[in-house]
Amino acid sequence: MTETHEFEEEEFNTQFNGQTVKRIMAQTRPHWHMVAGFLFFIVAVALMESASTFLGKLIIDDAIIPGDRQMLVRLMVLYGLLFLLQAAGVFGFIYFAGRLGETVQYDMRKQLFEKLQTLSFSYFDRTPVGWIMSRVTSDTQRIGDLVSWGFLDVTWAVTRIFSAFIFMAIINLQLALIVMLVIPILLVVAVQFKKKILVEYRLVRKMNSKITGAYNENITGVRVTKALVREEANLDEFSGLTTDMYNAGYRAAWLSALFLPVVQIISAVAIGTIVLYGGWQVELGGMTVGGIQAFILYVTFMLWPVQDLARVYAEMQNAIASAERVFSLSDSVAEIQDKPGALEVDSIAGDIIFDHVEFYYEEDKPVLQDFYLHVKQGETIALVGPTGAGKSTIVNLLARFYEPKGGRILMAGRDYRDVTLHAIQSKIGVVLQTPHLFSGTIRENIQYGRLDASDDDIVAAARLAGAHEFITTLDLGYDEEVGEGGNLLSVGQKQLISLARAILADPEIFIMDEATSSVDTLTESLIQRGMERIMANCTSFIIAHRLSTIRQADRILVIDDGRITESGSHAKLIQGRGHYYELYTRQFREEREAAIEADHLPGLGPALAT
Amino acid sequence: MSYQNGQKPLDLQKTVSNNRLQGLWRLMSGYRLIYFGAVISLGLAALMKTATNYLLRFLVDDVLGEGRFDQTLLAVALGFVALALVEGTFSFLSGRLAAQTSEGIAQRTRNYLFDHIQRLSFAFHDKTQTGELIQRSTSDVDAIRRFFATEAIGFGRIILLFGINFIAIYNLNAQLALISVIIIPFIVIMSYFFFRKIAVAYEQYQEKEAVLSNTLQENLSGVRLVKAFARQDYELGKFENNNSERYLKGKELVKWHSLYWPGSDILAGGQMLLGFFVGAIMTINGTITLGTYMAYTGMLIWIIWPMRMLGRLIVEMSRAMVSYDRVIELVKEDREQLTTGSYAPAGGVRGEIFFDHVSFRYDETDPVLEDISFYVYPGQSIALLGYTGSGKSSLVNLLPRFYEVTSGRLLIDNVEIENYPRHYLRQQIGIVEQEPFLFSRTIRENIAYSAGRAVSDNEIVEAAKAAAIHDVILDFPNGYNTLVGERGVTLSGGQKQRVTIARTLLKDPRILILDDATSSVDTETEEAIRQALNKLMENRTTFIIAHRIQSVMKADLILVMDKGRIVQKGKHSDLVKQPGVYRDIFDLQAQIEVDLENEINELVAA
Repeated sequence: MTETHEFEEEEFNTQFNGQTVKRIMAQTRPHWHMVAGFLFFIVAVALMESASTFLGKLIIDDAIIPGDRQMLVRLMVLYGLLFLLQAAGVFGFIYFAGRLGETVQYDMRKQLFEKLQTLSFSYFDRTPVGWIMSRVTSDTQRIGDLVSWGFLDVTWAVTRIFSAFIFMAIINLQLALIVMLVIPILLVVAVQFKKKILVEYRLVRKMNSKITGAYNENITGVRVTKALVREEANLDEFSGLTTDMYNAGYRAAWLSALFLPVVQIISAVAIGTIVLYGGWQVELGGMTVGGIQAFILYVTFMLWPVQDLARVYAEMQNAIASAERVFSLSDSVAEIQDKPGALEVDSIAGDIIFDHVEFYYEEDKPVLQDFYLHVKQGETIALVGPTGAGKSTIVNLLARFYEPKGGRILMAGRDYRDVTLHAIQSKIGVVLQTPHLFSGTIRENIQYGRLDASDDDIVAAARLAGAHEFITTLDLGYDEEVGEGGNLLSVGQKQLISLARAILADPEIFIMDEATSSVDTLTESLIQRGMERIMANCTSFIIAHRLSTIRQADRILVIDDGRITESGSHAKLIQGRGHYYELYTRQFREEREAAIEADHLPGLGPALAT
Repeated sequence: MSYQNGQKPLDLQKTVSNNRLQGLWRLMSGYRLIYFGAVISLGLAALMKTATNYLLRFLVDDVLGEGRFDQTLLAVALGFVALALVEGTFSFLSGRLAAQTSEGIAQRTRNYLFDHIQRLSFAFHDKTQTGELIQRSTSDVDAIRRFFATEAIGFGRIILLFGINFIAIYNLNAQLALISVIIIPFIVIMSYFFFRKIAVAYEQYQEKEAVLSNTLQENLSGVRLVKAFARQDYELGKFENNNSERYLKGKELVKWHSLYWPGSDILAGGQMLLGFFVGAIMTINGTITLGTYMAYTGMLIWIIWPMRMLGRLIVEMSRAMVSYDRVIELVKEDREQLTTGSYAPAGGVRGEIFFDHVSFRYDETDPVLEDISFYVYPGQSIALLGYTGSGKSSLVNLLPRFYEVTSGRLLIDNVEIENYPRHYLRQQIGIVEQEPFLFSRTIRENIAYSAGRAVSDNEIVEAAKAAAIHDVILDFPNGYNTLVGERGVTLSGGQKQRVTIARTLLKDPRILILDDATSSVDTETEEAIRQALNKLMENRTTFIIAHRIQSVMKADLILVMDKGRIVQKGKHSDLVKQPGVYRDIFDLQAQIEVDLENEINELVAA
């Protein structure tokens, strides 16, 4: 909780960080040919656009005024060719810039995802999933847009302004210089506007997510609202939010509506100057009628490059902030890594010793202190005790999701840090309390345990886990989709599949965090049988909630406050009449009551219906 | 409280129409004049742009052509600035008025939907998904906002620019005007065709983005599994697939854009070229003046180029229509009437309740409750015992009129329940649920939430103490001002339960419903909660839903329910003597104790 402030979205960074810009550019280096491609085409298009305006002048001055039809036809053909070339150029820059944007996004996402696979648990514990998701999705998109469309717009704008100046200078240098004075003014005004507008839009977005949150609560809490007769008070509060949203949205909109007129009026002053100075020059012969029109058009359309420059400048700050966040993720270092020279052993079977292990998540809050535990190969250990006592920490350390802060963990007589992460984790089977399935079919989910498993292996594992029976009752059997996060299946079914998955992995160490929610008796006994089979071949650690599991363990450890307070077989601990005895009797009553209740669920029976 | 920046709230149900345009028109009620102002301003701005070209014509033909390099030139120069000022003012005004309309309509719709949702019936909420409702209230409303703010205005702008400039050119030379629009229909058709394709491609691109997000999310939330099975490479492969699919769709989208823009450039360029050429010939032939030609070329630009966006606007507007339909579909749902009903005695109800052959069913399903009859004196406690699905919750849900009795009579204080306004009735009833819901605001606000009046700090503390939660609250970082939920502390089931009890104590209802209130609570707090509940039950008619004999033994009346019927009723002392469900449950629960004892004795003996 104390760290959440780190994850507030910091959209603005007051300064451009040169280092970050360099790193953003580096992302485009492997695709330099696309950069070169869009730069070439956009420069060509901008030049042709300026040239066609100049051509318009020539049409007036050299064809229409002298009445030269041949010249007119020639110029028109040229004009047409210019249009065709321009269209080809437009195709070119959209093609290259668009691809570059997509490619950069693709690359960055890939890099980030690869990075994420290597990071340690501690990282995921302190970083909200939503935060990571935004880095990988929206931030990479913003960067992709910047390096393609952002840079494209800037290049276009700069080329457009310079080429317009050159053509204007060809027509009349003095007037061109005077007119160019307006550019810096335009730029400053435009940038100020765009920044203000961006701030408002940020506010709109923030209000929008607040409003979404309010709707969410309104809907999920609708029963309570009704029961407590809070409708009017809720609406009052909500209209406060929508009023803020109205104000922000309205301000953003009218600022945007003000932007163009202001810039246009500034340009109009320049046009007035052109008319005055140009008209005077026409008299002196220093200017033609076509020249005046060309000037007017150049200034009128100066609006767009200026507006693009301002927009990109304002958005650039956002994109750089995005990039900084993305880089902070890709620069994160995995806390748990293989030591140099770590062994890639084939087996880690053997005794497991927690040798005076110390552990904490936060420096001043020790979870385990001087923890000693010797587990023989093949033993089944049940861990019981209240929430927060340290049971999960023990299995997390065992799976090397974390490493001890002090002391060591020995597997088959070897400090497990001398072995590679891969060697350990590929020999561990895990079933989590809330079974996690991936979208896809049942087959794919079981196969996750061993990717090269044949269909027969999968079915065999499912049979052992006791999952085969319910799977075959499904319409598509093993090819049935489990839905997002497995939500098309019941909790019990998900557990059976995770068991099958663990069995298929053929682990040497088995870790299971039993689900607390009750399942019907039949499913329960299936799960039980599956567990027995896997435990027969493994050293097993079960965070146990069910009596049947607890009773079967070779050894029960009662964990409280990071220490083993009682240890021994079920019978021995009951006889001791200690804390375990109380836990057990209470659990006994609850389980039996739940069983009575579950077995009377009308119409559901054994809840295997999907 | 002004909900609407001075505007009166609008009953959206009255705007419903089968014709979408008519519906949108009705939705604009109160803003039509403002929006009309926006359109007029838009037209005036376009007119000024055209006037600028006429001024250019005057400059070329009558000033430069006549050699009047005097004050007239200065006047013309100032004229350009003045026209830009006027144009700018109107175009700003148009944007501002359109924003006022669109933001106003959006705000009104948001407020309406928020209120609407909380006033829709339980039956509606039972069958509707949260995500669906949120989407309609947020992104669909936003689509309507955009319709008024940018799409309709943009459409109007293109049409007005076209119309005004066309008339202005026609005024200069009719022939020229007709030649200037020959290719335009093709531009519009092409634009519509392409933007439909682009919309589809974009949708597919977004779908792939969603798939990728989902994979990422599953990977992050399943990180334990990925690591435990050492499946990083496999995950990379999966992500790689999604990532490249998205990349391919992105390329597809780029392809459509890279075809459309140059394609439409060629058409629009052809039209321009044609116009320029004919205009130039006419000028050489003396049919039109040089000034006219120049004004013409200036106006031609504003006829042609905006047309390229028309297809996009049409496609976007048709999508806004779909959003409109989705919003209206929700608006059409009937609200629960909260205040209708004539009987609302000032002192509150006494709590005498009579179920007279009550039956209840949800729409067209099997009956949930059948022929329920019983009588409760004020202040009595009634326990409902039965398995999940036996109808206990449905029965108590009839009391606050969350659902309506299908047949039979339900009387409170001898008055039929339909005569009580729902609001009034709900104020008389307090509910403590099995899984209590707290709002993400401070603990103080959560406790004071239901009182419906200003509550002193003292009262809140008293209630919290009575609910045995005061000490827990003081341990939180900000005491009573600690936020509950994601941005604050997470409360355990038992703690939530006790906050709910404090909340109910403050509400001080005459009738109390305890819906399995102690079942999900840990041992340490169970006793505290039981005491708090006992305090709460004093002098109130109380319904206790339970599945444990222990929790119902003391009730004045026990109703044993099975499959929607009352199968047994009476006091504990009577019911245990009769054969039936009650005694079965009693025996089963007693058996647990016997089994437990046996098991322990066996172990001790071994």
